[in-house]
Amino acid sequence: MPVEIGKIDRELKKLWAEAGGAMTRASLINLAIYSEAPGSLPQNTEIIFKITEDHACRAIVIGANPGAPENRVEAWISAHCHVSRAGSKQICSEQLSFLLEGPSAKLLPNIVFSQLDSDLPLYLWWQGEFHHPMDAQLWAWVDRVIYDSQAWSNFGTQLGRVEAAQAEAKQRIVLCDLNWTRLVQFRLALAQFFDHPSSHHRFNEIESVEIDFAPGYRSTAMLLAGWLASQLRWTLEKDSNGNSLVFRNQAAREIRVNSQEKAGEPISRVGLKCNSIEYRVTHAPKADLLKVTVEGSNAERKCLMPAGSNDPVRLMSEELMRGGPHSVYLRSMNAVRNLL
Amino acid sequence: MNPLREGLATRSVPQACTVVIFGATGDLTMRKLIPAIYNLAADGELPPAVTVVGFARRPKTDEEFRKEQEEATRKFSRQTVRDEIWNGFAQALFYHQSEFHDAAGYKSLAERLEKIDRERGTGGNRLFYLAVAPDQFEPIVKNLKEAGLNKAREGSWARVIVEKPFGTDLASARELNQIVHHAFAEDQTYRIDHFLGKETAQNILVLRFANAIFEPLWNSRYLDHIQITAAETLGVENRAGYYEGAGALRDMVQNHLLQLLCLVAMEPPTDLGADSIRDEKVKIVRSLRRMTREAIVENVVRGQYAEGAINGKPVPGYRSEKGVKPDSKTETFVALRVRVDDWRLADVPIYIRVGKRLPKSGTEISVHFKKAPQVLFNKESVSLDQNVLVIRIQPDEGISLRMQAKMPGTTFRIEPVKMDFHYGTSFGKASPEAYERLLLDAMSGDATLFARRDEVEEAWAFIDPLEEAWVAKENQPGLFEYPAGSWGPEEADELLARDGRAWRRL
Ligand SMILES: NC(=O)c1ccc[n+]([C@@H]2O[C@H](COP(=O)([O-])OP(=O)(O)OC[C@H]3O[C@@H](n4cnc5c(N)ncnc54)[C@H](OP(=O)(O)O)[C@@H]3O)[C@@H](O)[C@H]2O)c1
Repeated sequence: MPVEIGKIDRELKKLWAEAGGAMTRASLINLAIYSEAPGSLPQNTEIIFKITEDHACRAIVIGANPGAPENRVEAWISAHCHVSRAGSKQICSEQLSFLLEGPSAKLLPNIVFSQLDSDLPLYLWWQGEFHHPMDAQLWAWVDRVIYDSQAWSNFGTQLGRVEAAQAEAKQRIVLCDLNWTRLVQFRLALAQFFDHPSSHHRFNEIESVEIDFAPGYRSTAMLLAGWLASQLRWTLEKDSNGNSLVFRNQAAREIRVNSQEKAGEPISRVGLKCNSIEYRVTHAPKADLLKVTVEGSNAERKCLMPAGSNDPVRLMSEELMRGGPHSVYLRSMNAVRNLL
Repeated sequence: MNPLREGLATRSVPQACTVVIFGATGDLTMRKLIPAIYNLAADGELPPAVTVVGFARRPKTDEEFRKEQEEATRKFSRQTVRDEIWNGFAQALFYHQSEFHDAAGYKSLAERLEKIDRERGTGGNRLFYLAVAPDQFEPIVKNLKEAGLNKAREGSWARVIVEKPFGTDLASARELNQIVHHAFAEDQTYRIDHFLGKETAQNILVLRFANAIFEPLWNSRYLDHIQITAAETLGVENRAGYYEGAGALRDMVQNHLLQLLCLVAMEPPTDLGADSIRDEKVKIVRSLRRMTREAIVENVVRGQYAEGAINGKPVPGYRSEKGVKPDSKTETFVALRVRVDDWRLADVPIYIRVGKRLPKSGTEISVHFKKAPQVLFNKESVSLDQNVLVIRIQPDEGISLRMQAKMPGTTFRIEPVKMDFHYGTSFGKASPEAYERLLLDAMSGDATLFARRDEVEEAWAFIDPLEEAWVAKENQPGLFEYPAGSWGPEEADELLARDGRAWRRL
């Protein structure tokens, strides 16, 4: 339903009033999505519809085209309703959509601020690349910024901008990289190999790591390598680069990390070799389960674990559910940032 | 610590182990335990090495046992069973046939467990789940000890989970504890109270101690009283055999409701360690004012449902149910007024009621605050209502707060309004089943949500005099009838009416 920007509040009230008592409005966060891709509004509306099934929020969806010659500002409101798991009640989240063209794209902070559901945190999902300069006014309000570094054309430049905004916000913003979220299920599958204290000595015996990644997902593979390196305290050898990296552990033992491009899921295989044992996690194309195996001198053990999905809705849901300060991400990313 | 777990774990990580279920073909195993373990495995929450050995007496092959459990899991599981996951999971299920009191069966069990450790990487960790009636604890525990299974080897552990009912009075609870204690130390013993595995029960501590606005008011200066209700529409169903000897007080109050009471009444613990929390809880049970015969007559009301109707359908009275004696004196309803004699809640009565065949099912705690001084508003007309904070445990878990608000347009007409928070509305993700949570906790050695020996025994020490009064020759308190589908006998209402209060409408 198209509305005048100044009247959004009133129109929202009307929207809920018309629904009578049949719907329950719910909201835990303000989720703002910003995109400059043509046609992003309907796409993001579709995404929000699915996200709100598990995460009640007030969604503020912004489609911007700063380069358009004409000034144009339009707004719509809508509600996404799902039947709650607990009963027959309709649970609804509201969405405000904005189209900003030409110079009015600069109105972004103002638009976001005026539409926030009070007292709830603000998550900003920035789709695409950040521009210079970063709007200090906006960043001062953001609690978590969500981005996908996989699609960045230049990691260093982009990260530099995020860090500038972060400095502006006095390091208060939590950086959420969907490229990191992509790795959650692989990390879980790899971590469980070493849960039993009797397996901890294996950390020092790791000789090599192999990672298969899909075209375009080298950065995902590098983040995974960065994670192993930072958590297991490996340091990168100076002349290491490309797809064949050399690390050293605390005992100065060499660890080779080889990654190779292979069509399929973003990460389709990770193998860790230590002495006589190989730990392996594989993700077959489109499968929703990971194959997890340990092969040793005496036996082979296999099991299945949930796999992640590269779908933006699933990635966002996973990210919203996990929360946390993401300090491991920062460490992992810093361990390999020069390689990204 | 496993460094790769950093930032990933949302709770303590369970360790690979073999779960040995005694009574593995029973109702509890089929309906709750195996489905819970399956769901955990399907969600990737279990170490892949986790293995289940079912122990029961009928002859059966591993394959037959797997088939049987598969059927049950398909029926009772929270999520749909997927063939590829089940097939892998089934390989971790084994059946061990033996009588509980046959020592040879435990010797072969020990050998079997060794073999599983070698082949499946369970690292010598064992979790013994006694899904059997309490009179079977003794032979099982004794034989476990004789087979050396109660002690784990260096670097691994052996734990035992015991099910309710944990005794029928203080003496039997002590005896059971002693039996278990012969083989397992207290820190190896996990007494399950599935109420504590519920998300909202856990949320009570968060609500109280993570919000600065409630705690300052949580004392006799600002609290008027507290009510705890556990109502169900069900009758005795097919549990008469057990229920006839138990009754509502033993079945629900001694364990579940006193546990809830502890959570609302306890002082903040020094940390979140299992014993820190349980230290505070046991202080509450200990501070429950013991009742004399006279006090019992005055503060406790027992009821039994008579014929009536539930959801518009006629239902029989308790005494006409299958397996119930026609002159049964078992209570299906009990209401109590209890006092916690500690600094915080002295003078704050706590009313507890629990019953079968009540009009609605629901478990909740309501905290009633004192009224605002009636000097400004409604001086002459109706009196102001209390502020009430309600913690709904089930169904529709959530929290609501009743406040006073001005009616628009009128001068100062004041009406109560409700601020309501529903878990299901705000958090779309379904909460795991209580048994899932508790099994995980036991596997990771977290005993916070399990009842400790002293808690259980103190609770019986409080309950015993009530049970004794009911079977006494003289001055026996009455047993009042209530029609099925009503909120219990009138006497229960009078219990509060005498104090100028009323039960909260559910
Ligand atoms: N059912 C529930 O939902 C529930 C809920 C809470 C607590 N509980 C408690 O959990 C316990 C178990 O309840 P349940 O309903 O599962 O019991 P059940 O259905 O009667 O099952 C009894 C189990 O014990 C085995 N068994 C009995 N005597 C044996 C013996 N001498 N030697 C070897 N195995 C023997 C039976 O094996 P065979 O089949 O081979 O005879 C069967 O597997 C009870 O204490 C109950 O109060 C149950």
